[in-house]
Amino acid sequence: MSTKEQRERIELLQGTLDLLILRTLLLGPTHGHAIAKAIEFKSEDVLQVEQGSLYPALHRLIKRGWISVQEGTSENNRRAKFYRLTPKGRRQLAVETNKWQKLAGAIARILMPAEQEGKS
Amino acid sequence: MSRRQRMMDNLDQDIRDYIERETQDNIERGMALEEARYAALRKFGNVTRIREEAREVWSFLWLEQLWQDVRYGGRTLARNPGFTAVAVLTLALGIGVNTAIFSLIDAVMLRMLPVEKPGELFQVQVGNADEGGGGSGGDSVFTTPMWEQLRDHEDVFSSTLAWAGTNFDLAEGGTTRALNGLWVSGSFFRVLGLHPAAGRLIADTDDRLGCPAVAVLSYGFWQERYGGAKKAIGSTLSLGSHPFEVIGVTPPGFFGLEVGGKFDVAAPICAKAIFGGEKPHLDNVQVFWLNVAGRINPKLSRAQCTTRLGILATRLFVAPNASPEERQALMKITLRIVPAGTGISGLRGPFSQPLQILMAVVGIVLLIACANLAGLTLARAAARRKEIAVRQALGASRTRLIRQLLTECVLLSSAGALLGILLARWTAALLLRTISTAKNTVFLDLSLNTRILGFVLATVALTSLLISLLPALRSTRVSLISAIKGSQSSEASRDWGLRGRQWIVGSQVALSLVLLVSAGLLLRSFVKLITLDIGFDRNNVLLVGTHLKPAKVPPERWMATYEEIENRLKALPGVLSVGRSEVTPISGALLEFGDVQSDWLKLSTSLRSPTRLEDPEAPAYANFISPGYVPTLRMPLLAGRNFTRADLETSSGVAVVNQTFSRRFFPHLNPIGRTFRMDLPPQKPFEVVGLIEDLKYYSLREGTQAIVLLPTNQLPAEPMVFGNHETIELRTAIPPSALVAPVRAAVAEVSSAIPLEFHTLAQQVNDSLIQERMLALLSGFFGVLALLLAMIGLYGTFSYLVTQRQREFGVRMALGAAPVAILGLVMRDIIAVLAGGMVAGVLISLAATRVLQQMLFGLGPRDATTMFLAAGVLTAVALLAGYLPARRAMKVEPMVALRYE
Repeated sequence: MSTKEQRERIELLQGTLDLLILRTLLLGPTHGHAIAKAIEFKSEDVLQVEQGSLYPALHRLIKRGWISVQEGTSENNRRAKFYRLTPKGRRQLAVETNKWQKLAGAIARILMPAEQEGKS
Repeated sequence: MSRRQRMMDNLDQDIRDYIERETQDNIERGMALEEARYAALRKFGNVTRIREEAREVWSFLWLEQLWQDVRYGGRTLARNPGFTAVAVLTLALGIGVNTAIFSLIDAVMLRMLPVEKPGELFQVQVGNADEGGGGSGGDSVFTTPMWEQLRDHEDVFSSTLAWAGTNFDLAEGGTTRALNGLWVSGSFFRVLGLHPAAGRLIADTDDRLGCPAVAVLSYGFWQERYGGAKKAIGSTLSLGSHPFEVIGVTPPGFFGLEVGGKFDVAAPICAKAIFGGEKPHLDNVQVFWLNVAGRINPKLSRAQCTTRLGILATRLFVAPNASPEERQALMKITLRIVPAGTGISGLRGPFSQPLQILMAVVGIVLLIACANLAGLTLARAAARRKEIAVRQALGASRTRLIRQLLTECVLLSSAGALLGILLARWTAALLLRTISTAKNTVFLDLSLNTRILGFVLATVALTSLLISLLPALRSTRVSLISAIKGSQSSEASRDWGLRGRQWIVGSQVALSLVLLVSAGLLLRSFVKLITLDIGFDRNNVLLVGTHLKPAKVPPERWMATYEEIENRLKALPGVLSVGRSEVTPISGALLEFGDVQSDWLKLSTSLRSPTRLEDPEAPAYANFISPGYVPTLRMPLLAGRNFTRADLETSSGVAVVNQTFSRRFFPHLNPIGRTFRMDLPPQKPFEVVGLIEDLKYYSLREGTQAIVLLPTNQLPAEPMVFGNHETIELRTAIPPSALVAPVRAAVAEVSSAIPLEFHTLAQQVNDSLIQERMLALLSGFFGVLALLLAMIGLYGTFSYLVTQRQREFGVRMALGAAPVAILGLVMRDIIAVLAGGMVAGVLISLAATRVLQQMLFGLGPRDATTMFLAAGVLTAVALLAGYLPARRAMKVEPMVALRYE
């Protein structure tokens, strides 16, 4: 990992990791390493998942009943823990996504007032 | 195990899985196996911390961690027995004395009576419209007819009760065996909502005219005398030689309504008639003896209450045949009600302020002690830097470490508090003994209650915080690398914690100065009081209290009986002289007669003389004495003569007065031969025959009073309250206590039924200073303790400083600095801390000692001498405590110090 790469990466905002995990699991049950990789890959390596926060976050979501964990066999026939979205988690994802979009929109409007003024 | 355990197993498996996959990925990127694994681990980060955080999701984690912390703290403390012992003992002492004083405050002021709904109870007091309501108590007794009026006009109260304290004599003649008695109304126990522990309590039906003699025992007395036996019920008890039937026992924990005392036996008010006497209290309109309390009618507003009490007051005090003038004066008397839920107490007046002052004093001592311990923990934390750094590196978060240090201190404080509670029980009992006097044994219910436990808990929390916070915050902010390397030398670590400790020592100096100044003020006041010229010689005087009524001596024989006793006592070996008086000096009792009219002043006022009285309505304090009184007490006679046996009732009235009396009523005149009148029947004039020096009458703190001494054999025939309750004073050549047995024998030759009470005059004078002595001794003790603690803190801090700077001193000396220069270097720091603390201490003292004002005598709260003395003592001791470590700095061997590197 070069220093340049490090610099371009952005630490996740507090609470957004939960949202990203839920979104990743929408595609199907998978294991911890794959979740981290998926987030990094989909964000084109801009977002880096701290392992320090991934596992506590997973456990938090299990406790809230938004995801569940199961024993499973992975692609190369290795036993691993698979995390799966629950129906409750699915509903929560919708709520969180909605909230995030509102937040992102609001922040964007504040950060780019010129655009805003131009419109009005 | 639980779900959490399962989850943690999952997590471990997951982490392993993750690292394997990451390693695999790294290998695919072209790394060697070892390198790939290492990179994966590094990317993953601190496994322990992640496990902790995930675990926290499934917590009761804090509880688990708390248990861990407690065990770890326990082990750490056990490994340092020296530190632990010092800390626990210091805290035990500090928390112990604080708890002791608080439990006294609780008992005297805060504790609710163990009765039903104590908050609804109010005591009825007599007030005067002129006073503005702030009367000093004492005016809370009523005559029996007044009580009956209050009881029967229940428009203010929904229920009322009355009681009076008394002494019963358990013995049948001979040596008295005094019991604390209580006369109670029939409603007393019903209104208080008390249920008997055995038998039944006095009920309304027991309190009627001509009632049978029944008595109720207190639980304590029942246990003590009957061993709690049921057969006590129905047995007979002799009270003042009258048989009373025991009908029941009050519940344990009920000691009466008066805080500071306890009763043994209660009897209905009506049974007082059995004791007879010429003027039974029961229908007497002149004897005020009953306390009245009640529950307020809940339907009444505060204003309605006041109005109705006003109407009631008029009904009680304004006689229908009073003249308009008298009426106007009597209309000023009002009734008021004061909350009685915490009991009624004569202790509250004299002791609430001293107790509050003591509370502040011991609170400050605890603060100073905590400061020392904070210094110690700070030093210990410095020694534990390595341990703390390692634990941080292994994944302990900072809050977790702080929590751990805090837990250790809570453990220390709790251990201290447990010991402290034991110590407090003992200390409080000791304090109680010191405020009890020969005449008045103070009893307080000091049993633990939730309020005291709450106080202890709060103290533990506070001390733990004080001890641990600074070290915890400091010691967890360390550079891991340098700490683990164990380097002590970096510039940052030299100063480490030292600034904090100097602040701590500075505040200790300030606080101990405040205590020293307070102690100095109180001690000097006390010394002024005991060395005060009181106008008579208190030493070697035995006081023998007598009472002729219980011995059934007829009134016409009173005088002769006393003369006979006096003559017999005079003949005893070791007795120099004998006198008798109605009241004794500094006993707190007083005979006061108003309306003194000097015949000369009357004359001069009628002539419109410009001479004016200092205070025309000032009363004179009186005493009835035998001719032997003045010489026995060695009161200096300035002019005229003492009484003689010739001053009989038939001859003209004579009086001996003091200088103040003379100055007030015969200004600038020789009083001898002048006459005055007083509000004392029969209204005959008194001629001044002798002049004595000013003297103290009822209290050492009183200003100079006008005092008039009258011969006991010129006593007024009416009212017959005087002349049967005299005290005999004996001036002795041997220790007064040695005369008790001979005096008892001699009096028994006259009548063996006369009850006797023995005190010494010196003891009586001393007992009047009980609060002052308690405050002076305790504040002195705690002042010295505070000084000692502060000096230990100072010594410890500067020893630490010298150790920390040893290498620097070594270098300086190697470069040619003289040892004296090194000494100066350290002393400069010490003096800076000392000066800062002193300035703060003086400022705090100036602001704070004002609360002592009332307790002081003969000096002000900002007395400069005391302030200088205290500051001087503190400086001297502090310089000594600082010199010891400074001298060590001077003796640093450059070679030894440098070799440390």
